[in-house]
Amino acid sequence: MSTAISWDPYRPDLAENPYPTYKRLREESPLYYNEEYDFYALSRYADVEHGLRDKDNMSSGYGDILEFVKAKSRMPDAVFIHQDPPVHSAYRSLMQRIITPKRMLGVEQEIRKLCARSLDPLIGAERFDFITNLGAEMPMRAISLLLGIPEEDQVAIRESVDARMRTEAGKPIDLSKQQDLQTEALGSFEEYIKWREKNPSDDMMTELLQADFKDPNGGTRKLRRDEIVAIVNVVAGAGNETTNRLIGWMGKTLAEHPDQRRQIAENPGKFVAPAIEELLRFEPPGPFMARYVTNDVEYYGQKIPKGAALVLMVASANRDEARFTKGDTFDIHREVRPHMTFGNGIHVCIGAPLARMEGRVAMEELLKRFPEWEVDYANAVLSSTSTVRGWDSLPVWVGSKPKNATVSAPKPVAPEPAAAASGPVPLEGKWNVVVKGPTGPQPAVLVLEKNGDSFTGAQTGDGATSQIIDFKYDGKQISWANQITKPMKLKVEFKGEISGNTITGKAKAGFMGSYPFTAIKA
Amino acid sequence: MPKIVYIEHDGKEHVVDATVGVSVMQTALDHFVPGILGDCGGACSCGTCHCYVDAAWEQRLPPIAENEEIMLEGTLHTEANSRLSCQIRVTPEIDGLVVRLPRSQVL
Repeated sequence: MSTAISWDPYRPDLAENPYPTYKRLREESPLYYNEEYDFYALSRYADVEHGLRDKDNMSSGYGDILEFVKAKSRMPDAVFIHQDPPVHSAYRSLMQRIITPKRMLGVEQEIRKLCARSLDPLIGAERFDFITNLGAEMPMRAISLLLGIPEEDQVAIRESVDARMRTEAGKPIDLSKQQDLQTEALGSFEEYIKWREKNPSDDMMTELLQADFKDPNGGTRKLRRDEIVAIVNVVAGAGNETTNRLIGWMGKTLAEHPDQRRQIAENPGKFVAPAIEELLRFEPPGPFMARYVTNDVEYYGQKIPKGAALVLMVASANRDEARFTKGDTFDIHREVRPHMTFGNGIHVCIGAPLARMEGRVAMEELLKRFPEWEVDYANAVLSSTSTVRGWDSLPVWVGSKPKNATVSAPKPVAPEPAAAASGPVPLEGKWNVVVKGPTGPQPAVLVLEKNGDSFTGAQTGDGATSQIIDFKYDGKQISWANQITKPMKLKVEFKGEISGNTITGKAKAGFMGSYPFTAIKA
Repeated sequence: MPKIVYIEHDGKEHVVDATVGVSVMQTALDHFVPGILGDCGGACSCGTCHCYVDAAWEQRLPPIAENEEIMLEGTLHTEANSRLSCQIRVTPEIDGLVVRLPRSQVL
């Protein structure tokens, strides 16, 4: 007797190959209920498609991320991904005029130059990293170009986004530096909007400033500054991280299919476009989309009650054999059929034309310079959250792996903190904690006090302080917990290992899952 | 059942039995006609079901609404007879409709 299928979206060991689990879900439990985290999930193509189109019973009013839907999070109106009609429709139709395939075609040559700028310096190198050298650079520069952000401001904004998005477990973060960067970037961003108001151009920002907006509450007006900032944040946030992940999957998937890679390189005009579609289907950077269920609905004779959180498993739908023959096979020659990677229905990815074009340009320019590469898996880092799945780092050898590579391959991480060699620092005192949460790093400050042999302490984050509980330390392993009230009441359990002045480990935040954290002694 | 004729950019023809009430876009997807993506599933939000309507049919279809106009303005390879096929519903009156498909639905 086989055990009933269970799916825990937060299990880290599932990140590498979640597809056999998805297949079992489609076959054994096409409507799945997860009791531990209290959510429903649909995994078959037809159901995911139906769910995404069902605007009468499915709401995006609490966002499209499971944790946000569970927490019933609200966002300002201009964050239109987080709204239902008519508010969503008002902003969406405004943006639909601005983010168009025609505009993307207009900047293709510029984006090709950006891509070349990332790749040309790598010519002759033995190794490079798909993320550091291309994924983290090209999409950000492309968005900046579309928005018209001048080159000198791009660095600050990119570094801020990078700092917010690219912090990783095991890599020390200078919290104060990170905050400075963010403040600086946001400051220069405000400055930039003001400047662009006085110096109109043909970019997206100028259009946002000049566009007539049909307010869902009546009347036509210009967008307010705060609305523009919100819209730009949505556009930049959505366009950066996902395209970065797409580039990582390109590196991994093509390396594992060298025959198809060769065919693409030999005839890019014919094969790059279908290869991008197949890549989008095969490894969607955003594997899940969540909805809040507004009326009781029924699938397979089972009810999904009003008020439930429902996960639409795009990554599973894309492999559904009922829709794609040999769904688990990467095949650039397959008949192009719509996949669910950009979603479906009124919230379908508005940046899809940009993503496809960036993907195509990146693949063309890569293969021109590097027809072959091999992934250094020992030094690659994969991460998976409920919003994105992809490579934080994907180092490759140009050509193939050299024979002596295992000893010489440098680990592409930041240098160890200086104190590491001299053993752990005293625990008492102030620690700067950063949890890499689903929406970016969450900073907190932990203050520990020594009382004889035991420790007490308090943790402050998001403006609230609470006493820590369950503190344990055995000379290496350290753990504690605290109760947070924002964005909701939760017990967060920290468990990590101390090395020098740094603790790295996982923070488990109730049903929201586990996230990497680091704590650095101040 | 009304018939819809899809002609791919390379001239390949697909004659399909359509169901009344379904869109011309969804009819293509249901019959696996290549050359139409329909990413948004008929919400007039993606512009990937672009087609050219044969001259004989232009006047016999419902007029282009504002949201379709907005999408078509930003779409590539448009002509005077361009339409989004998700905005055309199959009725008995459009039996025999001929739509030609663009070179590509994406950039």
